[in-house]
Amino acid sequence: MQTQVIAESDRYPPGDLAIWVFILAELAAFAAFFGSYAYTRMQHVALFNHYQLTLDKTAALINTFALITSSYFVVRGVAAIRENDSQGCVRWLMAALVMGGLFLIVKSQEYAHHIDEGITLSTNKFYMFYLSLTFFHFMHVIMGMVILAAVAVKARRGRYSAEQYVGVETGASYWHMVDLVWLILFPLVYVMR
Amino acid sequence: MTYKYQSQAVAIPYFIAAIGLFVAQILFGLILGLQYVWGDFLFPEIPFNVARMVHTNTLIVWLLMGFMGAAYYLVPEETETELHLPWLATLMFWVFLVAAALTVAGYLLVPYATLAEFTGNALLPTMGREFLEQPTITKLGIVVVALAFLFNIGMTILKGRKTVITLVLLMGLTGLAVFFLFAFFNPTNLVMDKFWWWWVVHLWVEGVWELILGSILAFVLIKVTGVDREIIEKWLYLIIAMALITGIVGTGHHYYWIGTPEYWQWWGSIFSALEPLPFFMMTVFAFNMVNKRRRNHPNKAATLWALGTAVMAFLGAGVWGFLHTLAPVNYYTHGTQITAAHGHMAFYGAYVMINLTIISYAIPILRGREANGDRAQVIEMWAFWLMTVSIVFITLFLTGAGILQVYLQRFSDTPLSFLVVQDKIALFYWLRLIAGVTFLGGLCVYIWSFFIPGEKRAADMPAMEAQGSERGAVEAAAG
Amino acid sequence: MKKRTVLGIRTCTWIWLIMMGLTLVTYTIGQAGLGGLSASLTVLVIALLKGQMVGDYFMGLKRLRGFWRWPVSLWLFLPGGLISVAFTLVG
Repeated sequence: MQTQVIAESDRYPPGDLAIWVFILAELAAFAAFFGSYAYTRMQHVALFNHYQLTLDKTAALINTFALITSSYFVVRGVAAIRENDSQGCVRWLMAALVMGGLFLIVKSQEYAHHIDEGITLSTNKFYMFYLSLTFFHFMHVIMGMVILAAVAVKARRGRYSAEQYVGVETGASYWHMVDLVWLILFPLVYVMR
Repeated sequence: MTYKYQSQAVAIPYFIAAIGLFVAQILFGLILGLQYVWGDFLFPEIPFNVARMVHTNTLIVWLLMGFMGAAYYLVPEETETELHLPWLATLMFWVFLVAAALTVAGYLLVPYATLAEFTGNALLPTMGREFLEQPTITKLGIVVVALAFLFNIGMTILKGRKTVITLVLLMGLTGLAVFFLFAFFNPTNLVMDKFWWWWVVHLWVEGVWELILGSILAFVLIKVTGVDREIIEKWLYLIIAMALITGIVGTGHHYYWIGTPEYWQWWGSIFSALEPLPFFMMTVFAFNMVNKRRRNHPNKAATLWALGTAVMAFLGAGVWGFLHTLAPVNYYTHGTQITAAHGHMAFYGAYVMINLTIISYAIPILRGREANGDRAQVIEMWAFWLMTVSIVFITLFLTGAGILQVYLQRFSDTPLSFLVVQDKIALFYWLRLIAGVTFLGGLCVYIWSFFIPGEKRAADMPAMEAQGSERGAVEAAAG
Repeated sequence: MKKRTVLGIRTCTWIWLIMMGLTLVTYTIGQAGLGGLSASLTVLVIALLKGQMVGDYFMGLKRLRGFWRWPVSLWLFLPGGLISVAFTLVG
């Protein structure tokens, strides 16, 4: 009986399997976006190279740090609930949420700057992709934070334990996906030229 | 009485009227099919544009009738309470039916321009746009019916048990009502007009209607499979989240060539390319639930319709939609028979079949039996196959016509004019017409199945052999 | 629910630090204004490595067997491949 259970758990990813179907669908969408960016850039290299320089790489660095760190905090949160430490789990998730919030603030500053300069989706092809991609990701950060917050609230009420923490893993997996996508987006849009 | 809440019975007239209008829709479809190859058939009595208007408008009205019937049937059961105002539901049925009948009569009896003048279109011009041809007063009537309906359903849900299914259904129905309001927005700028027009047309069928479809399908699957509500609800959440993400931004696939900014070509292409995913998830979901079933419901026909919906919606809406959704492909296929092929299979697979699913499940119960007898069910399954196979052929023939049309008219080095091409692809239209006649045959068989007496209960079914005999019945129907 | 084989926290902490370091490398390349194929592909490979780390350690796919071991790795090939082809063609 026991070996069967262990084998089963090593066959499926952490969290609810349904969220993984969703994660794969989301990843497919981002892959399509990345591919479209690279393909369009091929035809407008000079334009892309020129306008890429107008982006704030330091802001992107801070945001990458923020997402990687928040992902790490979520890992700690899952580890905490596995040890039956609900309060620890909540604290780590809160820390992750703070990092997510930092991301949103920094990214909003960037957007504010672009809006000040009168940049829109129709300004040129580079900005069209830059704004579409980052905004689509921005929405995912918000969505991921809502999920993490819901998990944190539930954890705070003691609904999870060392025996029952699928919900924590489900939220964690989604959040890691948000991180994963940004890890490609950052070099592609801000650095590669 | 087999149904638990008396007020569920208000669904009966809705379902009957839906099927009646379905027949009318198909008859006008056949007239159109014939006019494709015999241009002045029934001219000037029923010109092509009028027949097309009736064909599409009756479709929409009967689907809405079906959705309303479905809501009136399943909401009391889900909320475990009687409908808030059953009499209002019945009253609104008659208002809706009379309005629909008068509108169709108006289309058929007087020239469209006269109808517009007669109904005071000049006061608030909303007519003259594809699918939204209804006179303004009919549109106002639809709003009244929709509001009364939403009020009735909403109050019932507030009063009773709240489930994910009713929540999703209510979201879908509210969205349906809200987006219909854009039918009253009619800017004189043609680009703006088209832009907002899609907020009704696209956001209905590729947005909020999918919520209605998902919730009805989930309801029927819970009933016929006995699988835990929790599992079904989880899938429902994911499917509708995916449907909304891809469907809402996917509106962009209508904004490629109408004068909207260029980014829509990217947004539309990428997001609508993913629109098959929720339909694919729906197929996986339906088959998984049926495989995991914990009971053998005696209504095998309803199960077949439910599975059919999942498969055909994926093929028609998902695969055939994807075929021409990417901007570079759509550049050539826009407004050709490829669109017609997709339209036929998507509407049938997603929305016709979900209506027939809930009707197949609910009608026997509303008539006081858990399920129809074996004979009636086998005949209903025959109807399922006849109609489904016919629509597959209609779709294939139109796809063939569309590919030829795209090539001859737009892609070749020496493009031909529209009418010359129409003559060259006439063979496909004849074949489509034959498939259409077969479809009508299937529909007649379907209606016949309602008049076959006999009933069947779960208790009649030997627990162990049930699975085998059901396979037998399905296979027999499959021929 | 049974406890699974779990990757230690210490490993994940190291992974976190390594990823922060790799990010800094990417940033430096960007700030130095390095362009061209070799710089671009270096940055891309770093990104794919980091992606693999998220999948393996943070998502914990490394310990899995069978189908679910691979989706994230395979996914990385998709944008990774498309991007490197597009950049290589431009030169």
